[in-house]
Amino acid sequence: MADKAATIYIIDVGQSMGEKNNGREQTDLEFALQYVFDKITTTISNGRKTDMIGTIAMRTDDSANDLALSDPAYKHLTSLTPIRQHLLPDLQLLQSSLIPSSTNLGDGISALILAIQTLLSYCRHLKYIKSIFLLTNGRGSFDPDGLDEIAAQIRHQNIKLTILGVDFDDAEYGFKEENKDEKKKRNEETLRGLCEQVEGNFGTMQEAVEELWRPRLKVVRPVASYKGTLSLGDEIGYRETSLEMGVERYPRTAAAKPVSASRFVVGETPAEKEEGTKTGGIPSSGQALEPVRQARTYAIENPAEPGGKQEVEQEELVKGYKYGRTIVPISKTDEEVTIYPTEPSYRIVGFMLSRHSQYKPHHSLSSTSILLPQKGNPKAAVALSSLIHTLYELDMLAICRFVKRKSEPPIMTLLSPEITPEYECLLETLLPFSEDIRPFQFPPLGTVKTISGKQLTTHRNIPTDELETAMSDWVDSMDLTKLDADGQENDEKEKDGDDDEKDDFAPIEELYNPVISRINQCIKHRALYSDAPLPGLPAALTQFSHPPSSLVSSSATALDALITAADVKSVLPESQSRKRRRGGDREQVQPKSGLDIEALLASGAPAKKQKISLENAVPEFKQRLSSIKEEQEFKELAGEMMSHVKELVKSSLGSVNYARACELLRVVRDEAVEGAWAGVYNEEIRGVKEELVAGGLPAAAGGERKEWWAECRRFGLGLVTEEEAEGGVEEGEAKAFMKVEK
Amino acid sequence: MATKWRPEDDEINEEEEEEDVTRYQDQKDAILFAIHVTDSMLIEHNNDPQNLETSAVRTALQCAYSILQERIISNPNDMMGILLFGTEKTRFNGHGSFNNCYLLMDLDVPDAASIKELKNLLEDEEAFEELMVPCQRKVSLANVLFGVNQIFTIKAPNFQSRKLFLITDEDDPHANDKAMKNSAITRGKDLYDLGVQIEPFFMNNPGREKPFDTGKFYDDIIYMPAQDEEDKPLAMTVKGTTKLKDMVSTIRSKATLKRAQFSIPLELGPGMVIGVKGYVLFKRQERGRSHFVYTSSEKPQIVSGTTTLLAESTAQVVEKAQTKRAYKFGGSQIAFTEEEMKEMRNFGTPGIRVIGFKPASAIKFDHPMGPSQFIYPDEKDFIGSTRTFTALYNKLMKDKKVALVWAITRKNSCPIYAYLSPSEEVRNPDTGAQTQPPGFFLIQLPFADDVRQNPEVVASKAPGTLIDKMRVIAKTLNMPKGYEPEKYQNPSLQWHYRILQAIALEEDMPENPVDKTLPKYKAIHKHVGKMVLEWGKELGKVSGGLSGGTETLRVGTKRKAEEDDGGVGKKAKAAVSTAMPPSDAEKHVRLAYKQGALARCTVQMLRGFLDSAGVEQKGRLKAQLIQQVEECLRK
Repeated sequence: MADKAATIYIIDVGQSMGEKNNGREQTDLEFALQYVFDKITTTISNGRKTDMIGTIAMRTDDSANDLALSDPAYKHLTSLTPIRQHLLPDLQLLQSSLIPSSTNLGDGISALILAIQTLLSYCRHLKYIKSIFLLTNGRGSFDPDGLDEIAAQIRHQNIKLTILGVDFDDAEYGFKEENKDEKKKRNEETLRGLCEQVEGNFGTMQEAVEELWRPRLKVVRPVASYKGTLSLGDEIGYRETSLEMGVERYPRTAAAKPVSASRFVVGETPAEKEEGTKTGGIPSSGQALEPVRQARTYAIENPAEPGGKQEVEQEELVKGYKYGRTIVPISKTDEEVTIYPTEPSYRIVGFMLSRHSQYKPHHSLSSTSILLPQKGNPKAAVALSSLIHTLYELDMLAICRFVKRKSEPPIMTLLSPEITPEYECLLETLLPFSEDIRPFQFPPLGTVKTISGKQLTTHRNIPTDELETAMSDWVDSMDLTKLDADGQENDEKEKDGDDDEKDDFAPIEELYNPVISRINQCIKHRALYSDAPLPGLPAALTQFSHPPSSLVSSSATALDALITAADVKSVLPESQSRKRRRGGDREQVQPKSGLDIEALLASGAPAKKQKISLENAVPEFKQRLSSIKEEQEFKELAGEMMSHVKELVKSSLGSVNYARACELLRVVRDEAVEGAWAGVYNEEIRGVKEELVAGGLPAAAGGERKEWWAECRRFGLGLVTEEEAEGGVEEGEAKAFMKVEK
Repeated sequence: MATKWRPEDDEINEEEEEEDVTRYQDQKDAILFAIHVTDSMLIEHNNDPQNLETSAVRTALQCAYSILQERIISNPNDMMGILLFGTEKTRFNGHGSFNNCYLLMDLDVPDAASIKELKNLLEDEEAFEELMVPCQRKVSLANVLFGVNQIFTIKAPNFQSRKLFLITDEDDPHANDKAMKNSAITRGKDLYDLGVQIEPFFMNNPGREKPFDTGKFYDDIIYMPAQDEEDKPLAMTVKGTTKLKDMVSTIRSKATLKRAQFSIPLELGPGMVIGVKGYVLFKRQERGRSHFVYTSSEKPQIVSGTTTLLAESTAQVVEKAQTKRAYKFGGSQIAFTEEEMKEMRNFGTPGIRVIGFKPASAIKFDHPMGPSQFIYPDEKDFIGSTRTFTALYNKLMKDKKVALVWAITRKNSCPIYAYLSPSEEVRNPDTGAQTQPPGFFLIQLPFADDVRQNPEVVASKAPGTLIDKMRVIAKTLNMPKGYEPEKYQNPSLQWHYRILQAIALEEDMPENPVDKTLPKYKAIHKHVGKMVLEWGKELGKVSGGLSGGTETLRVGTKRKAEEDDGGVGKKAKAAVSTAMPPSDAEKHVRLAYKQGALARCTVQMLRGFLDSAGVEQKGRLKAQLIQQVEECLRK
């Protein structure tokens, strides 16, 4: 549970806030509200009941607040929303209320006192993180009378004060307003002095607004994923020579996920009509959204039932697994046996050197965790520290076997020491088992062997010396180590040679997950402006998606040389399909021996006009293709294949021949695309569909073979599109073609 | 009521729903073993000093059985079959008439019955000898190859990968019959056109005088796959009498089609783009999903589930088209159109872009966010990709550098920051098999969003004297070869399938789980036992000041309760006592029994327990003692 928080925003809405200054398109108020609404929508989207907000407007026409009745000093201040969890209607209320007033009366320091009062009467002595934000242009009244007492109060109550001013001077940020009027200058001094006294934040609005793109990371409280022992040796069999130390395991990294959307029914359902519009939804869009839930129904195959399916109740079902194609139901009694019995433990199996690249980062199967000594156990801390320092000094890693909870599968882990001035721990990553490795083999790079086994030194796949040199120069010119975090060249970096990651280019803490931030940004934006299109993507969010511009320009020459040396040719999709064209040009394949197989086939070939057989359809079709040139010949062959397709479907018991029929279609289709005979295939497949729809391919049991057509659709065996080959149809037509009306 | 169990195949993740690329074929594998039964293939010889004499046919069948068991776990939906040819007997499951071909296991997703038949054949010497009778006639290879053709045509017509593992020692089956030879060559071409790849496994058996010569016959049968295909056979070398282990590993590496996860451009700089493919070489192998099974029918059936959407309050059925996706916000919903939902996640077309280079040491231990993907060049869209990729690879290998990249690996997937880290080709010195391929690994970095805060902790650095004692322990237990994943089977996964096998084949339930992940306790005791004692003593000494002696370590009350409870305290401890009092031994044996860890008790402890229980010891072997203890405690 995160700490409770109460935050009050004081927003200056005086008449002067309605002016536009310093060449901005926005009024001062609009400028300031960007910041306020960003803060408030962030709080709302976190959805925490303990994150309270209250708002006060200053320099309002009215004086709606508790103190104004008794004291005229609190006139022209309005408590807009009391301290509470803010929801969407609150936001909408603030949007309509926070507009420039027609007065410049009302005192900023009084507003501050009102805020402190409100905060204290709400929080009382309870533990809250208390904050006040004051946003103003500093052109109204800020009566410094009694400021010291106020400062003392703020300090005493541990309230975090932030004052942001429109066009306030900020030497650190580098902003100074020209021709500032005397009153504003005085007010800025007053407010700056106050902030200094209470160690608050004082800044110019410009800077705050500029930083708005920066995602506010959700802070997750560390929760231990294991509390137990780290042991070496056997505490049962060799108790006297085993060692154990109390440890706790916490995540170091865990992939953060974007908020997930839920499904809703759009529009009014009958139930809502009855209740009227009281139920809520989004008033601004006028559409109520009702949540949707999912219901699962189950069925088994039963040929005796109409449609071949029989519904079954969930209660009748048991858990089961597949062993090959055998289904193995697991009874309740067997269930326990299937679980490999384990006890929670963290055991050292051995040690290994991390240098000589024995540790391979690509072996890591997971995000990482850390191991810390058990809390409040100084002896465990010393014990673990001796292991941490040992690994550190020897540059070693510990290989371990870890069981998180009783009956959980054991996993292999690797522990690495991490020592910083403040912190000592072991980092952990998960290692693969033998079953986790895919034994794929890849040809070596940089060497090419011919079929006969001869080693080549020059080949189009082997880089030339020129290419190697150009690559080397370019890589050197793209060195990031000389750059600091902002992508600026920094000569001092190399000299001091320290290992602090924060100074590196693109440090982890600057690499925001763009999807998470973008979705949050869009949600917040739409909450404020329900009818507006999506907001623009803040450029800073993806600043590291391209090389830093300084490097791009300094490496341009090296890149040009590389492009020339590499001479990479892009293959246009069009020419890919043109690789083999009409007749004759088909690639000649040969067996390993280089035998002229075509000649052999031709010599032994049966009389020309013999039809393609069903059992050997694919090879015969392909072999016959090699000798044809005319579209008419292709059409004949395709026609023969199609009659096999139809025969297979017609004679299929259930779905038994479907895959085979699909395969024949695929082969014909592929050849039609390659040979630019799209029209032939399209004509044939249209014929097949017609016959199917007309009931020409009936199943014995009376089915319409729609399942087969669904298979064809799944494997994309419909009309050839114009994208695929010349003479194809439009995408839309191809899509529509696959649909079968019920 | 107990918590409701739901089968894993019920889980639907809408967020992950991605546009499925149209596939023209089933992405499945089918492999068929064709084993030639000849006299020389049946000669028993000793190929491994540690094993009994065995024949090549038996080795091949054992190999098939091992592969079968592996694939049940790793490729549960893929097909496999075993064909014997050259046998006196004929059996061909109605796929036509093919003399002297014995379809031992039809090509299909294996089931319990066929696995059992194979297992029985391997275990039953008599049945084996009865079946393995070579026929006296000349077997027509054309006939065999067409038989194979028919098996694939009927059982796996549209599988993406179809392979024939042809195991024979006869290099010239039709030496004197040109017509038969030509006919076989024609059938070989048919297989090629059908899309079946032949993976030859030619053997030099002791019964043959000359080494296997592929030039005599098989070079006319076998085709090199086209240039840029996924799966080039590495070499068509002739194997000698092969050890089972090597045969298994060779076939394993070729059995599964090397399937790329993605094929995308790699942008080195503006105007400098090459093509690459990404493969998954490491991924946690999970057990198969659980299903809802209906058992009241003739045979158990896996049910098919259908999801319907219901409006929450009215329970009215709604169509997906009527629904909208929305986010919860401040007690209401913020809705977007489907296009907007897509647009929010759109950060450009898939590709990898190099941002710049850093030294390899930039990759920190806590950087990788999951299994990395292997990147290898692809010439399909950009000719010259391989040479350019190789030049980059050579440079980064030589200078020990890595590339920082921004990558979108698939349409609509979240962009990532990653390092391209070069990996050196490593081969097994004994078998020549590649154990690490040459190329790059794409190692995903965490986002700032992913980094968790460190919990607060009071650092107490160990004094040098204590570190010294630990250092010798770590040095002694150093494993010179590092972590070798192939040596560690996943005990939980293996157990799961052992049990399924036992239930499916109606075998006895296995009793002793094999667990190669457990530390070698005995060796640890032997090699560092004394050092641990020393370390324990030193710890007592140096931590004495911290908390006032070994006996007063209990700082918090919570921990005290735990200590009193089990004895396996949570405090740091190294038991310094030399022997255990009998009552203690009893307690530990009982505890070990509960944990199923009796095997880890010493013989002395087991004896002590049986003594105090008044049981007469029947045997001298540890296993016998354990059995007695179990019997005693079961009561």
